[in-house]
Amino acid sequence: MPGEGCHNAPVASVSNQRLDPIPPVATAIAVAIGLVALAIARGPGRFTTYPGRSGAAAFTVVAGLSLILAGLVCWRSRSTARIGALAVSAGIVWFAPIYDGWEGGPTLVRSLGLVASPVLVPILLHLILAYPTGRLRSRVHRGLVVAVYGGAAIFTLGLALFRDPFFDQYCWSNCTVNVFLLFSSPVLARRLTDLDRWFDAAAAVVVVTSYAARIALGSNVERRALLPVAAPTVLIATAAVWRATTMTRLPLEDPLEPTFLRGFLVACFGVFLLGAALVWAVVRAWLERRAVARTVTSLGDAPLPGSLESALAMAVGDADLRIAYWLPGPGRYVSADGTLVDEPVAQPGRSVTALVRDDRRVAMVSHAGGISELGREMGAAVRLGLENERLQAEVLAHLVELRASRARIVEAGDAERRRLERDLHDGAQQRLLALSYDIRLALAAAEADRDGRAASSLRGAIDHTQGALAELRELAHGIYPAILAEAGLGPAIASLADSAPIPVEIDTSLEGRCPAPAEGAAYLLVADGIEDAARRSASIASVGIAREVGSRSVTFDDDGSQRRSEMIGVADRVGAVGGRLLLEGTTLRAEIPCE
Amino acid sequence: MRVVVADDVMLTREGIVRLLTDAGIDVVAEAEDADELMRHVRSTNPDVALVDIRMPPTHTDEGIVAARTIRAEHPETGVLVLSQYVEPSYAMRLIEDHPERIGYLLKDRVFDIAVVVDALRRIVDGETVVDPTIVSRLVGRRRREDPLAALTDREREVLGLIAEGMSNRAVAARLHITERTVEAHVTQVFQKLGLGESPDQHRRVLAVLEFLRT
Repeated sequence: MPGEGCHNAPVASVSNQRLDPIPPVATAIAVAIGLVALAIARGPGRFTTYPGRSGAAAFTVVAGLSLILAGLVCWRSRSTARIGALAVSAGIVWFAPIYDGWEGGPTLVRSLGLVASPVLVPILLHLILAYPTGRLRSRVHRGLVVAVYGGAAIFTLGLALFRDPFFDQYCWSNCTVNVFLLFSSPVLARRLTDLDRWFDAAAAVVVVTSYAARIALGSNVERRALLPVAAPTVLIATAAVWRATTMTRLPLEDPLEPTFLRGFLVACFGVFLLGAALVWAVVRAWLERRAVARTVTSLGDAPLPGSLESALAMAVGDADLRIAYWLPGPGRYVSADGTLVDEPVAQPGRSVTALVRDDRRVAMVSHAGGISELGREMGAAVRLGLENERLQAEVLAHLVELRASRARIVEAGDAERRRLERDLHDGAQQRLLALSYDIRLALAAAEADRDGRAASSLRGAIDHTQGALAELRELAHGIYPAILAEAGLGPAIASLADSAPIPVEIDTSLEGRCPAPAEGAAYLLVADGIEDAARRSASIASVGIAREVGSRSVTFDDDGSQRRSEMIGVADRVGAVGGRLLLEGTTLRAEIPCE
Repeated sequence: MRVVVADDVMLTREGIVRLLTDAGIDVVAEAEDADELMRHVRSTNPDVALVDIRMPPTHTDEGIVAARTIRAEHPETGVLVLSQYVEPSYAMRLIEDHPERIGYLLKDRVFDIAVVVDALRRIVDGETVVDPTIVSRLVGRRRREDPLAALTDREREVLGLIAEGMSNRAVAARLHITERTVEAHVTQVFQKLGLGESPDQHRRVLAVLEFLRT
């Protein structure tokens, strides 16, 4: 789903964060607009505006200022700057109807107030949809916002050009001034006014529905992030619907009429809570950042692979968070323990954030959609931790690869030996057998001819053939002990003991088989152990094989002199199957994985 | 004597058939693999099946599996397995279920047709045949305290022949002594080795092999 909350934007370095002068200046202007509006409402606009009523004035100003100040707070923080600017603008528009109702005020100002007023509901809905980051999550949301603004623009333009307040029979707040008037059309103006409020009501219902869907279908993280705007969404939508329905009954919007006033107070409350929710978004982002930084710092000097992932997951409350580290060499992604993983892709409800350091890709984090701007929230400690873990993952990935190639080499060697053994049996041995039949036939013929010399040399040939067959058999067995593959470790080791030059006592309780490479390693340990023991003039050796969970423990001991050999061949072979060989005096001990 | 020969290598199979035929043995069928062998055994009901241990498809121990099946399903047909492996484990596995009319012989011996014919006859007589090389490897096995040291040379000779599967009468004939003397030797051997009463002639082969292996 293109663009679905997928912030694959490079994350810039945290330094050089100079203070932007625009937010405070804009906010100061907005606050001034609000305070002037209050003065207007308490003076010339006493009968034309909602705050003209003494009770409503405080609510209006508190609601508007809460949006503006919350906007400033958001604007100052990098990750919520967009929504901050939006909130400040909404705060300014909030006061527009008061300027519209400025009895005797400058005509241009009043007209501006007139045209700005229809934008209020769209901008509030935009704020709700864009919460908490300021970005719209989906194409549907973007379409919705565009439609709401488009509608508002049409109504604003229409009202500005064709509504002469003087001829509007239901005019209340401003019945005199419209500097933008092109030509007066009272009927069209009326239609537009009606349509505008129904349009607002419909848009509000759609936004509530979409919000409910996001809460119902979103991840836990997303739900937690969206919850703060639940009350403002419902209140603002209620106010819009309330206004539209009330005006069907009472087309004359008299702010002093209790029904209208109640709707307005609901809107005030909703806007105030929206401001609070915006501040909470900033606080929450800060808390998340701190939690991430703290957990990462607490990982210590030598964290285990994957600790960063679980620390991050815990800090942002998303158990499914995954970090895929980028290895530029092979051009692949690996997890913290070095195993290969697929490139993370954004899915419905899950986003992917690229983490970049000095223009180099470090990792991709896949996380729940509700986590805002994960990359930007990471402090220097996390970035260092990430880089560290990426290096570790790279080393581990090399190790994994090396281990795999080592195992492959051993397996290829075994397969080759096995092929050789079969070739000897099926080729050379069969030919020797055939040869011996022929010699036997010749011997019979020589005996029949009473040719004593020929018969005696043929008997010699038979002896030689027999010797060659026996040697061939031993050679084949040495190349690859067939019994190991066919009957397993127990019989193969018993067979080693049968032909060993020293007594070998076996203590095994073997059930079940292990993969061929593991059995091969155990067999080699015993075979080389016996050979080495005999070389050190041992008089007896013992073999113990015990079954452990997921492995076999192989022990070989003898009473020979001190071991001098490092048993490199055995150690390599055991290592190649992921086991470990320990040498303690005359004892060889190995743990060999068997799964 | 009616024999079925099973070996997947044509050269060897033909050689064996020729030698057996020369020795006056009636080869009633030849088989390339275990399935064909089983069909021939069912249809010709031979006295003995001569079976190579390695046959398709895996070339591992098909012969042993086929031998055990024959012994279980056709008690009147004996089996002689030819093997290139000096592995007591294979021999013991072969005879553990039905120790009578069964044998494990090294393939090298095929060229000494007298040995093969002798083995076939012993199997038809109901004896067990274990290759002397396997027995001598087991007898010669190094032990910490060798219980065989308590035996006299003659007793050790008798023990070896028992392990090869010979009956008392066959041992007597081989050593040119009376059957009664053989019986006395056997009782002595079993007592000295702590094997208790000697079981019947077929079971004692396995008992002795198992004793030699530990």
